[in-house]
Amino acid sequence: MADNNRNSQLHGKPVSRTLGEALAERGVSRRSFLKFASYTASILALPPTAATAIAEGLATARRQSVIWLSFQECTGCTESITRASSPSIEDLIFDFISLDYHHTLQNAAGDAAEHARMQAMEENKGEYLVVVDGSIPAGNNGYSTIAGMSNVEMFEETAEHAKAVIAVGTCAAFGGIPAARPNPTGAVPVSELTDKPVINISGCPPIPEAMTGTIAYLLSFAGIPELDHLGRPQAFFGEAIHDRCYRRPFYEKGMFAKSFDDQGARQGWCLYEVGCKGPVTYNACATLKWNQGVSFPIQSGHGCLGCSEPGFWDFGGFYKPLATGKDDTLKYAAGAAVAGAAIGAASAVSVRSKRKKLLEANAAPQAIKEEAE
Amino acid sequence: MTNAAAPCQTENVTGMARSVLSEISGMLQALANNETAGSVDLRSLPLTQADRRQLEDALGRGEVAVELELAGRSSIWETRYAGVWWIRHRGAQEKVSSEEISVCRVPDILTSQPADITAAALRLQQELSQNPSIHPEASDG
Ligand code: SF4
Repeated sequence: MADNNRNSQLHGKPVSRTLGEALAERGVSRRSFLKFASYTASILALPPTAATAIAEGLATARRQSVIWLSFQECTGCTESITRASSPSIEDLIFDFISLDYHHTLQNAAGDAAEHARMQAMEENKGEYLVVVDGSIPAGNNGYSTIAGMSNVEMFEETAEHAKAVIAVGTCAAFGGIPAARPNPTGAVPVSELTDKPVINISGCPPIPEAMTGTIAYLLSFAGIPELDHLGRPQAFFGEAIHDRCYRRPFYEKGMFAKSFDDQGARQGWCLYEVGCKGPVTYNACATLKWNQGVSFPIQSGHGCLGCSEPGFWDFGGFYKPLATGKDDTLKYAAGAAVAGAAIGAASAVSVRSKRKKLLEANAAPQAIKEEAE
Repeated sequence: MTNAAAPCQTENVTGMARSVLSEISGMLQALANNETAGSVDLRSLPLTQADRRQLEDALGRGEVAVELELAGRSSIWETRYAGVWWIRHRGAQEKVSSEEISVCRVPDILTSQPADITAAALRLQQELSQNPSIHPEASDG
């Protein structure tokens, strides 16, 4: 996955030169910046005329130090962002960042890897970004450790002097699959453990463009993009899948597939009755699509699972229609929205004091609590 | 599960092309009146493939067509309406990464960028001073 070019960026030292100057030496022209900026403006749903401002912002920005921490995760988020192996406009994002620590992509191991993390934190104090994939087991620190440190300790130590935290994937953003009932590890989203600004880029995995677009925005405009009530960039999570679904006309006419092999399914009718969660799921799959725009689940004949929403794993069944309310589906969807609102608000205030209470209240099952005590 | 015959509605004409053409017409008039440029991001619109074809056919091809090799291929052409440019950028695996219709005299990306010009001037000077055998007049002759 990681090509030589990317590997060469690991352990990169902070440079005082601008991105424009640094990349010009490697033959990357300003015209390339402009092309990348057109692509970024398009995925951020900004008017094409914003491309010039983005290109200028990127050219004058400094290379961004990024420390990527992986906790309770499956590496799907990393797979997603590194999906392209050939050099392309989408890959330019890897020239704009210095990926100083990443378990999967870095060459270094053991002490050398941890040294790279400490060095990046020291040299870029207050300026580096922390990207996290995976939720954090707060029920028992022994559930997941790296270099002898618990995930909680490593995250808190790393986030302390970060400029901002990006939670990629539903696990980091909302707890995800590790937090599914009965949440045996007491998994919590990163926003529960820091008072730094947190940008949630949910999805299982997230759409690669949502990750790269957000980082490009941070670099170009030196600020955080507009977020929704769950702390997600509006540009990617502002509309429900249902709002942009090409099967919507069938929904409006009440033409529903009743099973995956009936006549309705063959005719491309709406998948609502076979469990599609598109109406309560906010993400850009229907417009950006997957695999460089080839398709998305509904176009491939399967309903949306709702993977970018809090608690999606516990929605009550992937193949049960939303409206039946079976297994409390609607209750979970509504509950997830309310819980998510609290998480979003939590980004703005210190939440450490309430963390213990929250975890004691509901995160860890009794057996784990006892073990921890 | 079967997916073999699931149509994606990509073959239906929805009327969107006509709306986009009206918007472009307004932008072109503004360009003619007061040089205000404008553009339409095609990727953000729910255009079917049939709509896209209809739009491309309606605008046609004019006198200028350019191919750029720039971290993936880009195709840019002036349509048969002067000042209306179609810009198609491709990324990995030749997939379209962004696509817009720009209403302007010349798309920004076709003009040499000031920073590139500065760097090029410096590079040429250095090459001339380091290698006297490379001389513009010599190669002309
Ligand atoms: S397939 Fe899903 S997202 Fe599409 S119209 Fe039906 S319910 Fe909505």
